[in-house]
Amino acid sequence: MSRPGFVLEVDERTPPLLVHQGEGFRLEQFPLGTKVIYPPESLPGIRDVDGAIDHALRHPHGMEPLPELLRPGMRLTIVFDDISIPLPPMRTPDIRQRIIEAVLEMAAAAGVDDVELLAANALHRRMTPAELKRTVGERVYASFWPDHLRNHDAEDRANLTHLGQTRHGEDVEINRRAAESDLIVYVNVTLTAMSGGDKSVSVGLASYRSLRAHHNVHTLRHSRSFNDPPSSAMHHSYARMAGVLDEHIRVFTVETTVNNDTFPAHVGFLNKREWEWTLADQAAYLAVRRANEVTPAKLRRAVWHKTVAPYGITGIAAGLPAEVHPLTLERVHRQQLTEVDGQSDIAIMGLPYICPYNVNSIMNPILVMCLGMGYFFNLYRGRPIVRQGGALIMYHPMRNEFHPVHHPSYIDFFEEVLAETTDPATIETKFEEQFATDPWYVHLYRNSYAYHGVHPFYMWYWGAHAMEHVGDVIFVGADRTAAARMGFRVASTLADALEMARDTVGSSPSISYLHTPPLTMADVR
Amino acid sequence: MGLFGEAKLLARGRDWRGRSRTPRSAEPFAPVRAPREFPTAWARTPAAGAVRTAIQRGVLRPLVWSQTSPEVSGLDLIEGVTGPVIFIANHASHLDAPLILGSLPGRFTRRMAVGAAADYFFDARWRAGLTALVFNAFPVERQGSRRLRSLAPRLLDEGWNLLLFPEGTRSQDGWMNQFRLGTAQLCCTRGVPAVPLAVRGSFAAMPRGRNWPRPDRPKVALHYGRPVRPDPDESMRHFNERLCAAASRLWVEEDLGWYGSLRAQARGAVALPTGPAGAGWRRVWESTRPLPDPRPRDVWDRRR
Repeated sequence: MSRPGFVLEVDERTPPLLVHQGEGFRLEQFPLGTKVIYPPESLPGIRDVDGAIDHALRHPHGMEPLPELLRPGMRLTIVFDDISIPLPPMRTPDIRQRIIEAVLEMAAAAGVDDVELLAANALHRRMTPAELKRTVGERVYASFWPDHLRNHDAEDRANLTHLGQTRHGEDVEINRRAAESDLIVYVNVTLTAMSGGDKSVSVGLASYRSLRAHHNVHTLRHSRSFNDPPSSAMHHSYARMAGVLDEHIRVFTVETTVNNDTFPAHVGFLNKREWEWTLADQAAYLAVRRANEVTPAKLRRAVWHKTVAPYGITGIAAGLPAEVHPLTLERVHRQQLTEVDGQSDIAIMGLPYICPYNVNSIMNPILVMCLGMGYFFNLYRGRPIVRQGGALIMYHPMRNEFHPVHHPSYIDFFEEVLAETTDPATIETKFEEQFATDPWYVHLYRNSYAYHGVHPFYMWYWGAHAMEHVGDVIFVGADRTAAARMGFRVASTLADALEMARDTVGSSPSISYLHTPPLTMADVR
Repeated sequence: MGLFGEAKLLARGRDWRGRSRTPRSAEPFAPVRAPREFPTAWARTPAAGAVRTAIQRGVLRPLVWSQTSPEVSGLDLIEGVTGPVIFIANHASHLDAPLILGSLPGRFTRRMAVGAAADYFFDARWRAGLTALVFNAFPVERQGSRRLRSLAPRLLDEGWNLLLFPEGTRSQDGWMNQFRLGTAQLCCTRGVPAVPLAVRGSFAAMPRGRNWPRPDRPKVALHYGRPVRPDPDESMRHFNERLCAAASRLWVEEDLGWYGSLRAQARGAVALPTGPAGAGWRRVWESTRPLPDPRPRDVWDRRR
């Protein structure tokens, strides 16, 4: 049986603990008394995944079985989550491939001819053909690419449909093909509690006009946290939009959850608790760390991005999104939730090499901020791990590097916008519109593999709640110029960072270290 | 950091096999196991009894009597006592039990079990086994928290005499402490008499911290008293007070003589001997003062 998550209190017996630091990791001796939040151990995966998929499709929640929903002459659109989840990417065959194949088997049996497959990439970059093939599998790719297997295009005005407004005046505009389909089958992987449910269609297939209703500073500052849907203003907005969508489209969602087997066997020590490392784990640690250090940067990045996770599937549920999603959330919580007693003066986090927006790409400074102050800071339920006005210490090299193809607008955002101000609200008011409608960015988004012009703004807003909450942000081992541009301070070591944080939290602060990845969500009481 | 530095950091807190101790907060929850009682029934078998008698009479008594000069009085008062009886004594030294067992007639010691601290004598198996064999000891819980069921009532029912030290522990300064209620309760509930006795000089002979009596065969005195029986409707607290008073009188019998102590008790001048008030050293000083020894001086012994 998997052991539950727990909070370790560092004592004199505690060996140095592992901290992720970009494309690398290190051991760190934390001060005595530091609370270390560990996730529950990996839950066992389903053995017969195909059997579970078949069962889920034939016994859905709140809807008729899928074969009964399929009929000849209907328009069927299969939508699937894009490359941004799960992280790291899943070992093939991807669960999305397995589900799509099962759906297509049923569609073929029912005589459905008009089938389209859409990647729900919203304003993310388009998935490359290779990435699509990896996600949906060889057979599906061969049968549907390029005409009927596509990326969603949020800037293709001709192929967007405005379905109305919510009672709060939020525009609901989604992909035309999806809006005009008789049935949408949404294939989802819920990696964190923020994904899935109402978010799937209302965000994944939306346009900028629709997304700006919830991807803004005000909403994100009131999403506490955005990983806890009942307390998230952003999810409230999704729910309102889903209400509008329900009047026009029919969604049969298939939600899946994965366990915490985040790293493959050769770096299996990254999944283990340090005092349980065997000699082989320790040797692997030394070897991988040493090899990592001597490998040229480009090769190192390529190797890390080739790493695939041997995830086990912890559950598959299908049917009406409103009925399926609570079951999904329950499974996510079972895998990730760890109860934490009270907030700390300082939260420490080690940021890994990957976030949802740099798969097969470069983690630029803005994405580092987004991963730390957006995703990791918001891995809480109840209250943040760190108290109001506390200090946040994060590990990442934060190199001043950008992917020129994937993140062109990020470069301008970093050089022009952040040079002027780092205040999310000011940035939103002053610059967002300009970047969002810039024809060059739109062109790159539609025809190249670039994230949308407005995407770096969303990254910045993602950290708005944390920026408002914490009193100090210190990066250990980061590039000083890049950090300074974003308004953060840099320390060489943890001891220096703690010393620097004294001004904010005093000389004997309480410290919490969020030991993640594998993903841990703190249930702070 | 170089490879060597990394390896050094990795080895921190690990032993030569690369194993780390589990941090306290990561140790799995283990329910507190009920303490297991050391089995002592074997020590009450006839065979063990024969071995014990041989050890007590053949080794222990000669040894103690060779290292100390015991003076025993009052044994005539218990001549007619039959049936299970509880001997209660003040406790100041590990010499007390061997002295008492060595001084009592065989008819008592052959059926005698001694209460011994479970946390001291029964914490290691070898010590528990040895104590059980030599003294026919049974474990007595001094702290009420562990809730070991006492064997004493069952032993009384089976006809064993008991030797108990109601103070619960050896005296820190050689003087007496208040008796705990356990012995009185046992007497009251089982209706058995208690024989009080006072041991004087054992603290001076072998106090806490010594594992052998000091040289020169110091004098120790054992004063047995008349059996005290609980009245049918007597409360155990009252009976405990009577036991305490009896033991206190026997204590001063060494200083005042038998009749003197009786008169002092009649005057109400006998209190629990807790030693002189004031600084702690004064009590130790007084309790380690050698007892007056009426034996004729050995003119050839230069040490005296």
